[in-house]
Amino acid sequence: MVETLTPAGCGSRQRHRFALALFALGAILAAGALGAVLGLAGSALDAERALAVVGALALVAAAREAGLLRIPVPELRRQVPERWRREWPLGGWSFGYGAGLGVGVLTHQTVWTFWVAAAGALALGDPLVSALCLAPFGLGRALMVALPARGGRDASEAVGRMVARRRLLRPANVAALLFAAAVLAVAPALAAGVTGEHDPAASGRVLAVAATDAAGESIVVRPAESPEVRYVAGRSPALDGDLLAYADGTGIRILRWRTGEEVGRVDGALAKPALDYPLVAYVRAVPDGQRLELRDMATGAVRVVARGGRGVDIGRPALRGGLVAWHVAAGRRSQIRLGPADGSRPSRVVASSVTGLQINPSLAYGHILWVEQAASISALRLRRIAGGPVRTLNTLRGPNRILWTTALGLRTAYATRWNPVNGRSQVISRTWR
Amino acid sequence: MPRPDETLDRAARGLSHRLASRATRRGFLAAVAGGALAMVGARPAEARRAPLRGTDRTRDGWFGFCGHTWTTGSCPSPYNLPRVDARGFPVRPSDGWPVDNLGRLVDAFGAPVDPAGAPLLAPDGSPMPRAPRTRICEDWVPERHGIETVVQGAWYRCCNNQIRKLADCCSTSRVRINGDASLVGYCRPGRRVFCVMYVDTGVPC
Repeated sequence: MVETLTPAGCGSRQRHRFALALFALGAILAAGALGAVLGLAGSALDAERALAVVGALALVAAAREAGLLRIPVPELRRQVPERWRREWPLGGWSFGYGAGLGVGVLTHQTVWTFWVAAAGALALGDPLVSALCLAPFGLGRALMVALPARGGRDASEAVGRMVARRRLLRPANVAALLFAAAVLAVAPALAAGVTGEHDPAASGRVLAVAATDAAGESIVVRPAESPEVRYVAGRSPALDGDLLAYADGTGIRILRWRTGEEVGRVDGALAKPALDYPLVAYVRAVPDGQRLELRDMATGAVRVVARGGRGVDIGRPALRGGLVAWHVAAGRRSQIRLGPADGSRPSRVVASSVTGLQINPSLAYGHILWVEQAASISALRLRRIAGGPVRTLNTLRGPNRILWTTALGLRTAYATRWNPVNGRSQVISRTWR
Repeated sequence: MPRPDETLDRAARGLSHRLASRATRRGFLAAVAGGALAMVGARPAEARRAPLRGTDRTRDGWFGFCGHTWTTGSCPSPYNLPRVDARGFPVRPSDGWPVDNLGRLVDAFGAPVDPAGAPLLAPDGSPMPRAPRTRICEDWVPERHGIETVVQGAWYRCCNNQIRKLADCCSTSRVRINGDASLVGYCRPGRRVFCVMYVDTGVPC
């Protein structure tokens, strides 16, 4: 392949570079596409077990590469068609050769490493992450073509020197596979109980999320230009500038997230805080259902914004600019409601449905963001508070991938993407202006 | 002995001959555009025109599901098959378990549960909110299509060794869910069939 793309085969150096670029593009895209397909297929697997299988596979592969086991490498004993180079234009065959080699499964394989990487992409269960993990394989294929002939060197001699050094490559490959097996062996212990991140909160360019890992639940605050700050044993964060509110075992805590200085507490069976200091909204569990309360921390005044009986869910509220938004989900209908925080006017319905679920609003910069679920589709909806058309920022399809809680930052909208089957969650982002 | 690359080579040669004999520049550009759209998750116009639910022929010659003799499409529902209970609320087609409008199993109080009956929990550990569970004819169709509907008329067939009741969701609209002219079906005078659904009675036949 390296001789095919050298100037002697292609003509001028410019044609060589053009062919090389298209070869590399085809290889990287094909490898990434394979990774995406594997990641999608693996999203239904139990991640912990799948990673354990990959770890075992890496051990077996390392033993094979070290000569301890005799196991054939799965491969298709084919080469890219020679005729393409004679019958297709330069751009076509160079891209095609790159794609054919980059996808990995259509040509020769001499070592097991590719198959271990592909199994890892499957176990990761995330199309984007898996694509990013396998794309370097395509880059490696391209570098194997580009590097030997760099600087005008004789490509054949360069390949000959690489072949002569192959005795060094096998031990390096064994070491890499053993390292992968060791990391995967440790990963389940580290990842025990990991569900990821969820429940984003945003204020300007600061993001806070709830994280669940082996250490338990914690709140992670990520400012744009300084290191993250973590508060343990907290859930459901809410942000207002330098202030953070979250729910813990005894109620709602409000503090300055940069310094940890507590500025207020509200005790009780409270959850899902929203903060627009000195106002804080939260959901209180009561014997006959739930109540959405709004407290002024400066005066201590409490107002009941909404009540929900048994079987009615009053969702995570949003509080910003003197407005409060929340969802009401019941057996007959679900609604997003919006009203003034001071109760000076009745609340109004922003979205309503008898067929789907309208949930988890957030407010900022004159806009309202929420999630709409209908059948097996989750959509992230955005609209001006004053009215107007509804924009869809993101859509997920399938029962195993749903959007959940939302947050609206200066230019970025956030949402929890969650797999109810395996419990994995992550916070996704979309630019909204 | 065939060369290792011969099969792939033959396929590519055939493709190049077909392209050379039939392809036009416009067709080539359309194919490239379709590929580009596919890469970003969009589908070409032809792919979007998938058969309407309930109109595809089954192996036994029905339309969409057993007992459905005409071409009117299925009423909107959480699943592909528009199975409902006796009151018109959605159920899971495979076994008749009640589901909410998102297709999740629900308990007697309408709360979503897993197959073992345990409440479904949100990422923060709190119970997931109830989704609406509403009648697919009288509630879903008006919200999605803006027309008033009522269940009128039914016919019966023996399906899976039990009696299936197929019902017409009727409206005054002259256009049915398929997008073309609606039929009278078993609707009472003044109304026409907008979509269809069915109830598995469990009575042996």
